[in-house]
Amino acid sequence: MRLYTNARLGLARMSVTERRLKATVMDAEQIRRSLSRIAHEIVERNHGAGEVVLVGVYSRGDHLARRLAGQLEELEGHPIAVGAIDTSEHRDDRHLREPAHRFKSDVPDVDGKVVVLVDDVIHRGRTARAAMDALLDFGRPRAIQLAVLVDRGHRELPIRPDYVGKNVPTSDSERIEVLVAEEDGLDQAVIVAG
Amino acid sequence: MAIGSRLRHIVESQQFSRALLEDLFVLADDMKSQPHRYAGRLKGQLMAALFYEPSTRTRLSFEAAMLRLGGRTMGTDNAREFSSAAKGETIEDTIRIVSGYSDVIVLRHYEEGAARRAAAVSSVPVINAGDGPGQHPTQALLDLYTIRDEIGHIDGLRIAMVGDLANGRTVRSLTYLLSKFRDIRVSFVAPPQVAMRQDIKEHLDEHRVTWAETQDLDSVLPQVDVIYQTRIQKERFPDEAAYLAVKGIYRIDARAMALLRDSAIVMHPLPRVDEISPEIDSDPRAAYFRQARNGMYIRMALLDRVLS
Repeated sequence: MRLYTNARLGLARMSVTERRLKATVMDAEQIRRSLSRIAHEIVERNHGAGEVVLVGVYSRGDHLARRLAGQLEELEGHPIAVGAIDTSEHRDDRHLREPAHRFKSDVPDVDGKVVVLVDDVIHRGRTARAAMDALLDFGRPRAIQLAVLVDRGHRELPIRPDYVGKNVPTSDSERIEVLVAEEDGLDQAVIVAG
Repeated sequence: MAIGSRLRHIVESQQFSRALLEDLFVLADDMKSQPHRYAGRLKGQLMAALFYEPSTRTRLSFEAAMLRLGGRTMGTDNAREFSSAAKGETIEDTIRIVSGYSDVIVLRHYEEGAARRAAAVSSVPVINAGDGPGQHPTQALLDLYTIRDEIGHIDGLRIAMVGDLANGRTVRSLTYLLSKFRDIRVSFVAPPQVAMRQDIKEHLDEHRVTWAETQDLDSVLPQVDVIYQTRIQKERFPDEAAYLAVKGIYRIDARAMALLRDSAIVMHPLPRVDEISPEIDSDPRAAYFRQARNGMYIRMALLDRVLS
């Protein structure tokens, strides 16, 4: 218990500088436009959205997926299945992290569908890999595509997103935080000092 | 931990997910029962309290919260009159400057939407401590925390909101939060001049929350778990006669308490005038002073989560 407390306090101390914002990379309007463009690209690539299912990665990706689904419904005039997935069971660094809060995966029928995984940021690619593994527990999609709001580079796995809101070159020590109005009170993508 | 670590700004009640609420409540419980464990938690961190509208209670509650976690505070009570705002500086510029000095900003402003504008330019977390008639999310949070603490559950709650429901931002913010829970029934008890506004009723309909409107407090008293009493705000009425016509009609006194269940509680965001009789203060169901104290603990939990 003592060790755990100290670790928590250590984290809190480090974060004094860690959470300070260095720059805003996308404001609310840019995020809105990017999602709108991605929705159009999804329709173009898949010749409509009849077979498309959106699955957001907790947390933040779930909200972005719901917004994209809303846009696709407007574009195509039919309902779009949308879900959310928790990757914690499938992460390759489970043994290195404090136990995190688990979200309840809620995935619609994906068999034979084109599933677009939606996440806020892609960095090393490890979350995307875990999300693909997690998704395959729910069925056998015809294809999996990946949409991200921010691609910050530094990939460690052979994974490339199909739809990107914005490429943001970052140094390894920085962090990108995407804020969404549903959970953060406003839409914004920021770089914070690491 | 994962949820808390991603919390940045506190802008409005709607942004709290049930998972986040539960995380904050558990942390606040622990801070309440083992305060010594958290005494040095925010050592070295500085909170700026920027108040464009006076609010002794909210400001002292935030300052006490920060100091109890080992952090330090600075601030101004009259930002509107005495700071550069009087010289015409925009809220955005003020926030850019103050966020360079501090690790977290607590903002009370007279304009709806000011907190979101501030958050969009701040380099440190911004906590909305009330923006005009808009929102007061930390009040809603402490109200909900008090309900959970006193009643033991939130799902299945029967609550009556009483008094000035048109102008009270606390009842508006609390209603938003309650709509995230299951099987909630809300009764709005108000004079027609200050009835609950349509937008909140529509929000409740969208979230399938059962609500009813009445002017008869006595019929509601025996049916609810919580009476949420508010002050009829004299300053909102066009003239003295209109105010006097509704003033004091929903007074909670010994007679009203006799109609209330033994397990129910009375809450009030305070300050009160005469809508709750002091004679009931010693009744164990009078929860409003415990509610005010809970405000400090829930703000300690919030400060911890945005700064860690």
